[in-house]
Amino acid sequence: MTASTPGGLLNSATGAGPTSTIPPAPEPPGLEQSIARLLTIGTYLSIGLLAIGFGLMLAQGVGPLSGGPAFDLARLPGDLAALRPEGFLWLGLVAVVATPAARVAASLVGYAHRGEREMAVVATLILLVIAVSVVAARALEG
Amino acid sequence: MIESLLLVGSGIGAGLFGSLLGLGGGILIVPLLTLAFGLPLLESVGVSLICVIVTSGAAAGVYLERRVANLRLGMTLELFTACGALVGGLIAFLLPERILELAFTILLVYVAATMIRRRDAPPAASPVPDAAGAAGPAAPASPAPQLVVGRSRVRDFLDRLSGPGYRIRNLGWGVIGSLGAGVASALLGIGGGLIKVPVLHVVMGVPLRVATATSNLMIGITASASAIIYLLRGGIDPYAAAPTAIGVFIGASVGSRIAARVHLGLLRGLFVAILLYTALQMLLRAIA
Repeated sequence: MTASTPGGLLNSATGAGPTSTIPPAPEPPGLEQSIARLLTIGTYLSIGLLAIGFGLMLAQGVGPLSGGPAFDLARLPGDLAALRPEGFLWLGLVAVVATPAARVAASLVGYAHRGEREMAVVATLILLVIAVSVVAARALEG
Repeated sequence: MIESLLLVGSGIGAGLFGSLLGLGGGILIVPLLTLAFGLPLLESVGVSLICVIVTSGAAAGVYLERRVANLRLGMTLELFTACGALVGGLIAFLLPERILELAFTILLVYVAATMIRRRDAPPAASPVPDAAGAAGPAAPASPAPQLVVGRSRVRDFLDRLSGPGYRIRNLGWGVIGSLGAGVASALLGIGGGLIKVPVLHVVMGVPLRVATATSNLMIGITASASAIIYLLRGGIDPYAAAPTAIGVFIGASVGSRIAARVHLGLLRGLFVAILLYTALQMLLRAIA
């Protein structure tokens, strides 16, 4: 079966390629395993923090539709130390949002280590977009 | 207390339905929070984005571990979904809520129509596959194709994005689809798999199973780029987000474990009815 593609001919049965043939580069297994572990740990950590915050909400009689406090990074340590639910909830939410970015950062390190420059550049650009999100949100907030 | 438990229960229902039918929970969370709990639409979208990241994170971990997801392709395209999500996240705060409600109504009708069309087909995949193997082993790869390549770096790069048994094509359309998926995700609080999976599978030639897993991997960064904007601009209420996210996580995890034992025909019919009823409510709200 031969299919014509914009990038060239794909010949899956006969292997009759008229010019050079290369197999697709395999994904480094170690990198995939590390990223998988990071995602799993990040997700369970986030859910754990949200569950603690939710437990404190219930214990302190805080309603879920009562309008939560705004995010304030400076207040976070104090809220955590005082066992206020919002401290754990915000930390959990930050962990949720940060986990995918941490996955990209880990990929960047992995690809850079393997000398895969294109993928390292892609990872850097993704992190740049995330950084722009933070800066743009902060700027519009003010 | 009762409201908290209702939110957890609603999250479980959304996660369960989404997981059993191969959709993310986002499609149900936004109307649930808006119509049943009276949350403003933007806050509902913010909470939904959090839920979407949580479910995709757990699933993506399993997909990567099983080597089903294509990490290189996912990362390349998520650069563009993240750009789309950044733009969508910024304009979401500028658009009148009515426009977003109308857009969500269209989305609900579209998903309902899609579900009706494929009622005889099994769902593509569960958002949170069972770590013990409920999602099954990876599909056997077809014989590795011989790739006829040129000398350009772009072509070499495309080769590196390809996987065993398939070769990536139409990367340009993939980029455009990813941008669109990112904007839709940020505006409507969905994962964007409704756009990404067809683009990856039909347009780019990625096998369906790999397309689903890779789309799932991309959801995290896509939703994260806009969730940051919602979070910093006060679009996420932590009190509402926590019980909903916990519920969705539980529901999606349970759904992936029982998916094989559930008769999906009746469930799909019920889901379509819920979607259409919700679309009607959302439309009434938009034009009220």
